[in-house]
Amino acid sequence: MGYPGHRFALGLFAGVIFVWLAVMMVVMRHSVLPPEATGTMMVVFEPGTAPDAAFAAITRAGAKPIRDTSFGFIWVVDGEAGKLVKEGALGAYRDLPISPIVSGCVAVVDAKAADAFGL
Amino acid sequence: MTTETAPRPAPWYFLPMTVLVAGCMVAIINFGVRSTFGLFTVPISEAHQWPREVFSLAVAIQNLVWGIATPLAGMMADRFGSARVLMTGAVIYAIGVVVMATSSNPLVFHLGGGILVGIGIALSSFSIVMAALGRIVPPEKRSWAFGLATASGSLGQFIFAPFAAALLSAYGWQNALYVLAASSLGIILFALPLMVQNTSRSTAVAGETDLSMGQAISKAFGERSYVLLTSGFFVCGFQLAFITVHLPPYLAEHGISKEMAGLAMGLIGLFNVAGSYLSGIIGGRGEKRMPLSLIYLARSAAVVAFIMLPITPVTTLIFTATMGFLWLSTVPLTMGLVTVMFGTRYMATLYGFVFLSHQVGSFLGVWLGGRLYDMYGNYDIVWWMGVALGVFAAIVHLPIIEKRAATFAAT
Repeated sequence: MGYPGHRFALGLFAGVIFVWLAVMMVVMRHSVLPPEATGTMMVVFEPGTAPDAAFAAITRAGAKPIRDTSFGFIWVVDGEAGKLVKEGALGAYRDLPISPIVSGCVAVVDAKAADAFGL
Repeated sequence: MTTETAPRPAPWYFLPMTVLVAGCMVAIINFGVRSTFGLFTVPISEAHQWPREVFSLAVAIQNLVWGIATPLAGMMADRFGSARVLMTGAVIYAIGVVVMATSSNPLVFHLGGGILVGIGIALSSFSIVMAALGRIVPPEKRSWAFGLATASGSLGQFIFAPFAAALLSAYGWQNALYVLAASSLGIILFALPLMVQNTSRSTAVAGETDLSMGQAISKAFGERSYVLLTSGFFVCGFQLAFITVHLPPYLAEHGISKEMAGLAMGLIGLFNVAGSYLSGIIGGRGEKRMPLSLIYLARSAAVVAFIMLPITPVTTLIFTATMGFLWLSTVPLTMGLVTVMFGTRYMATLYGFVFLSHQVGSFLGVWLGGRLYDMYGNYDIVWWMGVALGVFAAIVHLPIIEKRAATFAAT
């Protein structure tokens, strides 16, 4: 049998990323906060939501913005998870000790998957 | 009458593709788990009401032990085969991580997170994997395989940090550490296909030296090219460790947001995968010393440009992407040079000593970065030291003679 090449490397890395995303989905599902949860949390809105619109939704939910991100639809706030979801957030997650951009993007995919599969 | 029996085909788990996948998975787990420890600094320190120093000292011990144990791990791999060493390392690694999760005594924590994890990392590291791959794959594919294994390690760093962060968030720090310990045990499974490369009780293969291990080490250090390579790799450790630890506070001082700094550090990991892989390809196509020399020169140029220009989010991202591309790209070329000069028989041992120099450089990069900052109130002098060392490394790689050392030629 011959030795593999660049396609093999690409396939291997793609496979690893795919498995990683699947595992991340499972773990992120467990990071979803129940509606009654309060305190510091990461909240994600529909991708493409304007920062002003997300800010308005956060304030309508009575939450206090702590920090925004380069992506205006991912915020770290101090508030109540249920109220934020009622105001249009896709989900509220425990604040992760990594860049909210990375965790927020995974959270968006998680929220979409949960919605699609009724999780 | 004689009957000829056709050679039995190798089982699927010993096929080259399986062995390569397994080796890469070992590298991903080994590098990945190690890269997550920084995330536990705050939760563990707060849980035990320890000063940060307790955790920091454990990680410092871990890095030192990792460096010291690597040549020893290499000797074991060259003597008993990589698979056995990787499996032993995985068990020690996992025990160390469990001790980190369960100990409430600083001394025990240092034993677990410092000594045991350090030994575990060394024994299950990608250099041990590369030694196995170096013996399994044909010479023309060797550099590519080294690049692939290094890129896998880089990918591990990139994917394990968010994974551990999510674990921390979902299950708490103790359970997160248990999951990471279980992940390191996965190395045992992935090491199994590497049993195909078993050097236990082996004799010198055709074209390889029949020197004893002691003689090989002694004669390698008598080779000027090996000493130059080892001194060059010291610089790699110095530069990378300094940037890893001190770039985030440097960026903060220059008004770069914490979030942007996190993104910038993430870019290093991402570009590192591409750089390591490409470096393996380049190493397989011709000389290794010139690309190595250029990598060190390019690092120095990137640092000069970065610190001379105004620090903005754009220059920060360009700098970290560039450094990421050059990050571990030195590894496949350095490992490749060790193999060219000394063959595959003692490659894990001889690379281990080169790596020890890297770790000494890492220690000094981190320590001097902090020490000189405290003395002068800025990082300027250490940045310029890194630039000068980069130029030094670029120069010392040029006289390396890229051929089998006379004392290691087959007898």
